[in-house]
Order: sequence, then C-alpha cells, then structure tokens
Amino acid sequence: MTLADLWVSFPLVVLVGGTLILMIGVSIVRTHKLALGLTLLTLVLSLAAHDLALENIPAGGYELFGLLNVSGVQVFFNALFLLGAIVTALFAYPYFNERLERCEEFYILLLTATAGAMVVAAATHFASFILGLEILSISLYAMIAYPRQSHQPLEAAAKYLVLSAVASSAILMGMALIYAASGTMAFAELTLSPESGERSYFLLGQALICVGIAFKLSLVPFHMWTPDVYQGAPAVVTGYVATVSKGAVIALLIRYVQATDVLSYDGVFYAVVFVAVASMIVGNLLALLQTNVKRLLAYSSIAHLGYLLIAVLVVNSARPELVMETILLYVAAYFMITLAAFGIVNLTSEHETEDNEQLEAYTGLFWRNPLLASILTAVALALAGIPLTVGFIAKFYVFAAGVEGAAWALIWALLIGSAIGVFYYLRLIYTMVKEVQPGATALPRIGTQSVVAVTVLGILIVVLGVYPTPMIDMIRSIVQASGF
Amino acid sequence: MPPTEHVLVLALMLFCVGAVGVLVRRNIIFILLSLEFMMNACAMAFIAAGAKWGQPDGQVMFMLILAIAASEVAVALGIVIQMARRFRTLDVDSVSELRE
Repeated sequence: MTLADLWVSFPLVVLVGGTLILMIGVSIVRTHKLALGLTLLTLVLSLAAHDLALENIPAGGYELFGLLNVSGVQVFFNALFLLGAIVTALFAYPYFNERLERCEEFYILLLTATAGAMVVAAATHFASFILGLEILSISLYAMIAYPRQSHQPLEAAAKYLVLSAVASSAILMGMALIYAASGTMAFAELTLSPESGERSYFLLGQALICVGIAFKLSLVPFHMWTPDVYQGAPAVVTGYVATVSKGAVIALLIRYVQATDVLSYDGVFYAVVFVAVASMIVGNLLALLQTNVKRLLAYSSIAHLGYLLIAVLVVNSARPELVMETILLYVAAYFMITLAAFGIVNLTSEHETEDNEQLEAYTGLFWRNPLLASILTAVALALAGIPLTVGFIAKFYVFAAGVEGAAWALIWALLIGSAIGVFYYLRLIYTMVKEVQPGATALPRIGTQSVVAVTVLGILIVVLGVYPTPMIDMIRSIVQASGF
Repeated sequence: MPPTEHVLVLALMLFCVGAVGVLVRRNIIFILLSLEFMMNACAMAFIAAGAKWGQPDGQVMFMLILAIAASEVAVALGIVIQMARRFRTLDVDSVSELRE
C-alpha cells in the first residue's frame, strides 16, 4: 500500500472511522444532538477528504487494490451520496426526536449505508460489488424497520429484505456462472472467447446479474416491492432509499456496461430495452391511480429510472462523454428533486405517528403553508420535466443522448411516459391550491434545519433549471478529466 | 473430481429449489431458510468454478458469501422477532397492511 493509495481511499477511511467513533460514542453517552453532530462532522470531513483524493487521481482513474477504481466520476457520485446523507440526517433529527426514545443508532446505519454506496459506485470486481451492495442493503433493512413499534415499517422491512436478498442471490449466481465461463471476476477482463463452449453459462450469468440489478433499481417487471417499501418506510428513509441506493447501483451499472460491453449481446440489449420501455409506461400509468403521495412518488421513481436507462442503452451508439454527462446530470437532478419531495412529506407529517401521505392531506396547502407548497410545486414541475426546473434540463439531456444514439423506440416511450406523467403531477399541484376544508388541522410547528434543507433544495431545483451553465460546465470538466 | 458442469447444474437446481421455496412458503422462517438455500447454492457454484480454474478466488467468494448470508440472517431474525411481537403471527400473508 502506497501513500497515494491511502489518500485515494481516505474518504472511505474517514467515513468508516467516523462510524466506529459514533458507535463507541453512542454506547457511552446517549445524546441525540451529539450523535447528529458527529454524523454531520464525519460526512463533511469525508466530503473534504475527496479534495485530497482528487489530487492523486490520474486521468483514467486510480486503481485501488484491484477491487475499486476511483475517478472524477466516482468522486462526483460520492459527493452526491454524502450530500444526500447529510440532508437525510438533517431530516431525521426532528422526525425521530418526536417519535422515538432511542434514535442514535439510526445515524450509525446511515453512515454504513453511505460507505456501502461508495464502495458499490467504485467497484470493478465482483467481490467489491457484492460486498458494497450488501453493506448498503443490510443497513437499509434496519433503517426501514427503525421505528420498530409501528406495524408498517416492519412489514416494509420484511418485504424489502426478502426481495432484496433474492436479488442478491441472483446476482451471486450470475457471478458464479460468469466466473465459471471466463475464469476472472474483474469487470475489465470479463470477455468470452468465441471458441469456448460456455456461451450459455456466460449469457445466463449476465441475465441473472441484469435481473438482480433491475430489482435493486426497481424497474418493471421487478418493481413489485417499490410502492410497499416506499409507503411503509419512514419518509426520511424512503428519501434515502430512493436516492442513494439507486444512485449507487446506477453508477455501478454504467461502469459494468462500459467495462464488459454486455450490451453488445443482442439478447441482453433487447431485454434491457424492454425493461426501460415497460418502466417508463407502466410506472407512469400506475401512478395515475394513486391517492397516496408516497406510492405516487414510488411509481414516479420507477418511471424516472426507466428514463435514465435510455442513457445507459445508447452507451455504444452515442458519444461516451455525452452518455456520462447525461447520467451524472440526471442522477444529480433526481437526487435534489427526490430528497426535496420526501423532505416535504416528512415536514408536513411531524408530530403524527403515521406519515402524512394521503393526497387529501395536501388540500389547500398553498393557503396553510405557502413556503412548503411552493417548494412542492417546484418539485412536481421538476418531476414532470417542465422547463425552468432542473428536471427539464435532465430530461433534455436524456432526449439528446437518445437522439444521438438513434434509439427512436425509447424516445417515443419517453415522450408518452412524460405526457402521462404531467397529469398526476399537475393533480398534486391542483390539490394544493384547492380551498381549505373547514376543520382541517393546522400544520404542526416544524424543525428549522429541515425547513432550511428543503428550501435550499427547492431553490437549487429552480435556479439550476433557469441557469444550468455552472452545473453543466462542472460535470463536463469532471467527465473530461476522467478520460471519456 | 466430478466435472464442473455437473456441480454447476446441481447448484442451479438447488438455487431453483430455494427460489420456489421463497415463492410458495408463507411462513417467514421458511422463507429465510429458502434464502439460505439460494445463497449456499451460489457458494457451491463458486467453489466449483474456482476448482475448474485452479484459483483460490472461488473459495474467497465462498467465505464472503458465508459472511453476507450470516449478517443478512442476523438482521432478518431481528425483524422476525419484532414481527412476531407486533403482529402475533409469522405468516407473511396476514402481515399486509400496505396496499393501494
């Protein structure tokens, strides 16, 4: 291990070290404020450590122990995960402070899950892939079930656990078959020599890995768990599941696809096209019927990951730097929008035992709490991809990548899906401007730091939608520096 | 030593037994058992593949899978105990409040 190795892995070291300190700290003094402070400190330090890491990373990325590859793109993803975790921690404090007696362990789980996400996003080997994925998933099971006195989180955690474990086993079996066929587990060397008679194992293995990844990304037809888990989990955790765990798997997927060139097999390619089209159409259609905001956001996230899959699918036909820019931009926009959405669900439901998730509960929100209602409006417009929000920029990039890759069927699905989507997002806004029912309860007093976090996210959604140049320039320079 | 193909087919069969178990069993304990089946089938396939190539990697993955399966079950049993306490049942069909 050289000094450069240490600097490049330093963000991860800081994060894991902070987790251990927090673990010991919680067992000595149980103070919610202190736990939150230590968590935020660890996350910020880890974010700062990326600065040191960047100085040691050459253009093509830094190969770490043959298991991880850290490049500028990975650093961007890591920054998103850490910022997502910071926002989640800020939301979690008032949420759990009101509801639970013991809330400190939640932050340990939050840190381990973030560490898992960072490992997954940088993985270049089957061993680091599955290890990171499981660190992330196992932390998430416990985070979902954290308010263990209530029924719904427990049920959601049990469902997520069983389905996610099935997906992990499918991925493991796929890895074993590919290893049997190719004799290596590093992504970059996974090619099948044409004369070897093990094509069937290799393709079955790739199919099983694709199924597992589709499960984790909740793509149709492997999306059944999503609405239940989104609804049952506490809103804070739902936001985290929807962003960080999905973002990590997307980062892995694009790297896997680029390194192994798995989409050059026709069977795999058309299967993924089918999954993408089905996710865009089915996700939006099912969202039309929803009266529960959390379930609505679940179906909307299914559709959004379908859109994102377009950028992955054109990886062989469009310019690689455009594909990478699209993915980074889309994931960043999706993080902001989704975290803001679940932040508002969480803010409007403080002091209540169950989350405030029925659509009727948002009736007349404009007259009761103009600030939150305006942010939720921006969020809904951004999810629909209306201009002047960051959602539009992201969707425009996906569209451009699809056009350049000449993926016309996917573009049509994107257009049809977005058209359906506008309806239910606008219905949410319509509900908010309706007259307040007499006898509607006033909104509870809400924690300041959560309001600040949500407001910042709302401002970012609008400002980066109106003036996206700085963000696009930054992403472009990152992609170029990473050698695409 | 049996040919690698035979072991891989056996592993796939065990994997399918586990998958069917997850789908048809209604008791959460049996679902977890079936999950163990699936995980261990993967571990067996890794051993066979590692032996085929004469590399230790297959066995390393085997140990990783053991650790992963154990930690997964540890969290799962915690959730099962809470379920048994709150719902007074281990039947997954009667634990379904989350729906449209």
